[in-house]
Amino acid sequence: MIYDIYHKTEFKYQSSVTFSHNLARLKPKETPFQKLLEYSMEISPTVYESYDFVDMFGNSNTHILIREPHQTLTVIGKSKVEILTDGIEEYIENIQKNSISYESALKRLSTFNLSDLYAKQYLFESELIPNNSFKIKEYALESFHKKRDLFEATTELMNRIFNDFKFLSGFSNITTPVEEIFEAKKGVCQDFAQFAISALRTIGLPAKYMSGYIETVPLSGEKKLFGVDASHAWFSIYIPNAGWIDFDPTNNIIPKEQHILLGSGRDYHDISPLKGVVFSSGNSNLSVMVDVRKAQSETKMMMQMQQSQSQ
Amino acid sequence: MQIFESYIAGSLFDEVYDSKKNVRECWKDIVKNIEDSGLELLKEKQSEIDWHLENNGVTYNIYDDHNGPSTRSWSLDPIPFVIEEREWATITKGLQQRAKLFNLILKDLYSEQNLIKDNIVPAEVIFGHKGFSTEVFNFGSKPDFNLYFYAVDMARGPDGKMWVISDKTQAPSGLAYAIENRLTMNVIANDLYPNIATKKLSSFIEDYKSLIKELSGGDASTAVLLTPGPHNETYFEHAYLSSFLEINMVQGADMLAKNGSLWLKSLSGLKKVNTLLRRVDDRFCDPLELRNDSTLGVAGLLEAMRENNLNMINPIGSAVTENIGLNPFMGKIAQYFLKEDLLLPQIATWWCGQKNELEYVLKNLDKLIIKKINTTEQSRVYFGRKMSLLERDAFIEILTLNPHQYVAQEEIGFSTVPYYASNKIEPRSAVIRAFCLKKGDDYSVMNGGLVRMSASKDNLLIASKRGGISKDLWILGEDLLNKNPINPLTFTTCIETCIDNISTLKAENLFWLGRYLARSISTTRLILHLIKKITNFYRYEVVTSKESQLILQNALTHMTMTYPGFMDINNKKNLDVFPMLEITSVIKDTYRTGSLSSTIAMLSNANINLKDLMTHESWKLFEKIQKEWYDFIGRKGDSTMSVAGELDKFLIYFMAYKQLVNESIFKEQGLILYEIGFRIEDALLLISKVKSMLCVKLDRSIEHDVLEGLINSIESLNAYRAHYKNALTLKSVLDFLILNSQFPKSLMFTAKELLKEFKILPKAKEVSTSYERAILEIEALLHSIDLEILIQIEEENVVYMELDKILSQLSDLFLECSNEFSNTYFSHHDE
Repeated sequence: MIYDIYHKTEFKYQSSVTFSHNLARLKPKETPFQKLLEYSMEISPTVYESYDFVDMFGNSNTHILIREPHQTLTVIGKSKVEILTDGIEEYIENIQKNSISYESALKRLSTFNLSDLYAKQYLFESELIPNNSFKIKEYALESFHKKRDLFEATTELMNRIFNDFKFLSGFSNITTPVEEIFEAKKGVCQDFAQFAISALRTIGLPAKYMSGYIETVPLSGEKKLFGVDASHAWFSIYIPNAGWIDFDPTNNIIPKEQHILLGSGRDYHDISPLKGVVFSSGNSNLSVMVDVRKAQSETKMMMQMQQSQSQ
Repeated sequence: MQIFESYIAGSLFDEVYDSKKNVRECWKDIVKNIEDSGLELLKEKQSEIDWHLENNGVTYNIYDDHNGPSTRSWSLDPIPFVIEEREWATITKGLQQRAKLFNLILKDLYSEQNLIKDNIVPAEVIFGHKGFSTEVFNFGSKPDFNLYFYAVDMARGPDGKMWVISDKTQAPSGLAYAIENRLTMNVIANDLYPNIATKKLSSFIEDYKSLIKELSGGDASTAVLLTPGPHNETYFEHAYLSSFLEINMVQGADMLAKNGSLWLKSLSGLKKVNTLLRRVDDRFCDPLELRNDSTLGVAGLLEAMRENNLNMINPIGSAVTENIGLNPFMGKIAQYFLKEDLLLPQIATWWCGQKNELEYVLKNLDKLIIKKINTTEQSRVYFGRKMSLLERDAFIEILTLNPHQYVAQEEIGFSTVPYYASNKIEPRSAVIRAFCLKKGDDYSVMNGGLVRMSASKDNLLIASKRGGISKDLWILGEDLLNKNPINPLTFTTCIETCIDNISTLKAENLFWLGRYLARSISTTRLILHLIKKITNFYRYEVVTSKESQLILQNALTHMTMTYPGFMDINNKKNLDVFPMLEITSVIKDTYRTGSLSSTIAMLSNANINLKDLMTHESWKLFEKIQKEWYDFIGRKGDSTMSVAGELDKFLIYFMAYKQLVNESIFKEQGLILYEIGFRIEDALLLISKVKSMLCVKLDRSIEHDVLEGLINSIESLNAYRAHYKNALTLKSVLDFLILNSQFPKSLMFTAKELLKEFKILPKAKEVSTSYERAILEIEALLHSIDLEILIQIEEENVVYMELDKILSQLSDLFLECSNEFSNTYFSHHDE
């Protein structure tokens, strides 16, 4: 499956900015199940200089310096990503087969094991996901009995989040504490992902934040408008002896061919698509527009874009 | 043995006396000297020390929520801490080994991470530590990514050996205090301790300078000391070190990043910085990649490191080695890297993230102290034996939830040392901070250090942040290498010596210091004058007409721009009857933009950022102003007359401060910026007053009153009388204030002076600059003025239209000049 992704992030400033340093992370990661076929970045106004580097989590970063007066900064990432579905079922089956009980996982993690080392980065509290209350721990432990298989338990946790939490945009933003999301039992995909991660880390299991996209399909008979998609987030758990496996609590599924990964980290901060530091007075406003669709011929795509813009 | 008779140490190990109550060899001379001189001399020397420290401005900033930041003076005990040469040589070897190890740890953790992969250090100890900066991952293999400066806190344990307590790797403080202690001790040593030979500190400073030179590629002028600023508790030390090491001290806002490098903004342009002596904590250094709420760093700083264009003492990320969780593994690490045993003993430490260790800790909680591996000054230390059963259970629950976050240490009593406490000598426990510096492949260790003692006899905890008492550390013995030091320690002030080098931040602060000081003075004067008018202070035979009072009131609102102020139509009745209510608000309401109090707040902000340029006297005076101002605005119910009395007092303070500023630095060092700011502000305020007071046609009697009021409010009645023999008329007052080329406050004079001053600035050009053009226009406009025309008025009109128009033009041009000036010098847009 090949997807075309259009991800526009835009800063609007209250007053003119003459000097701004920015960090953009819009280039999708390559994985055994995901190949980046094309990628380009468009930036306006003109870039004074930019540097690319890969961070510790394997995400691509672009450092952008703008040195001309501007009130809007637009960064657009355009990518063509191929999801390699071959072998994904086997991978999941394998994880399932090698998965171990919660008790043995804790025991194994408390000892030295070369293959577990880097997963341990994702064991600890992070800026957006601090250590949490006993209540969240209790919630998690309902699924994670000592003898319970981790894959099974995580599937159940995902299932419970999907059922217990209500998807509601506008209630939260990225800085809404996990505790608050848990109290209210509502939020959006990133809240559910961060809640799940928080719950898993609280009970001693490594979990990471996955940031990316998912294609939305319009109701039958309706035409999909350009830019109606949003970024998506889910989580991945490390099962000792088996490996990393993703879960999407918003949709209650294990991601396969519909999820496109942008990058991953300990929490949203490690993979926020655009952040910047400006010398200016007044506020700034960030807006995002995302479009994900199965690749078509380019001309057709352009036509659609124009159509949607004229609507 | 009279003095030392009362000295009874309760500790297991005393520095002076051995277990048989005999004075140890290395203390014999000191003890004899003190006994010979007597307590009186000790007391005298203590006050001498206090005087020197006070005089050199050695302080520790302390935060106080009520009165803003305040400072606490540093205190030094006249009795040194003595270590004999041979023992120090052993300790030095141990310190060098430890420094090497931490350097290897640091480099490894930010590159291969073999320590983790080879199971030498548990991954949790690193990944679970907040000092681990993922952002500098892979920087460890850079050749210049090293632990350059390293400090250790150590104390003598019950077995008589020096034990390592903690390691400081991020931005260790204390060096300047140690140097200042030594310089101060030198003053009293001749009288109190003649003929005691000690090792000198100067070679360490020379090593430090060479290191900076080496890192900066031979040109130390490209190295700077990065300070969080004057509010930081060890700001004194930053200023002091930058002087000693002969490098500039800058703040984050002094720099910008571009072309993958760091640049210092100076008045003459951008200058490359390639080496940072960093006193800002890791996470605060770059708001783009690290903490985004930090105002202490530079956006893009990390990129400059990534591009190999920036060296740092110490590099970002070094906080990870300030990690007590590493302690239990130091022995293994020493074997792993150096195939050596650890030389310096450390306090036994158990990391609770391991099963057996955790069990041991839980079983022996009574004997242990529990700490978090992420220690900050605020974090709690748990004493097992002090916990109640309930506390203990609660603590065990927290501990077992995140055991990898905790270590347990043996509780140890440290050795005691004599301390002079008001007329007697008492034992106190002490901690030594030693300093190491990378020198080639090895480390050089300072032959001395900073000793800190507990604040009270029974308190074993030594908190440096609270100030406390310090001692000098003496290593006994002749200094063979330094018998005749080429560069004995001297304190050279290394402030920017010429205007080209002055940092933009300082330049901007100087400019605004001028503007805010002018505004403070003018506002105070106008308010004072108004109050005197209201209370009929001048005791004219004719009671001052209400009308001229109203004109003054409106002028105040206009000048301070505290609209609607006295022009609030909805509040007219109130303002009429109780004008003091509004005036008090314009004086005291700090949150009201334009109020005197808000202006003073801005002034003090500019002042504090110029601390190292100003004289000690001006600094002290400003502290006094601030303190008394806080008292004044916090007070309620002052009578109108006492408000006037207070304002009178502050006016005198401002004038004295102005004089001290004038004396602090040369024009060519930057004072000119302050003068330019002062002149522009003064001109703007004068125009505002003239505009609101003289543009309306008035009756003869009121007009006289208003003219006099205006001239009085700039304290220039005598000057006027010297220039104009006649009584006050509108025409001659306008001539005086606007066109008179001899009166220093007139607009004409101001314009001419500004044009002269602009020529001294670094960006002065043959062709006129944009800010110069504004003043040239002003000059032309002033020359074209015909006063007769300005004060012509039709019978039916109430406003001098021409006068009003030209004043507006002048005001706009002065503002344009100020803006263009700021853009040219402070923004660095197009460099």
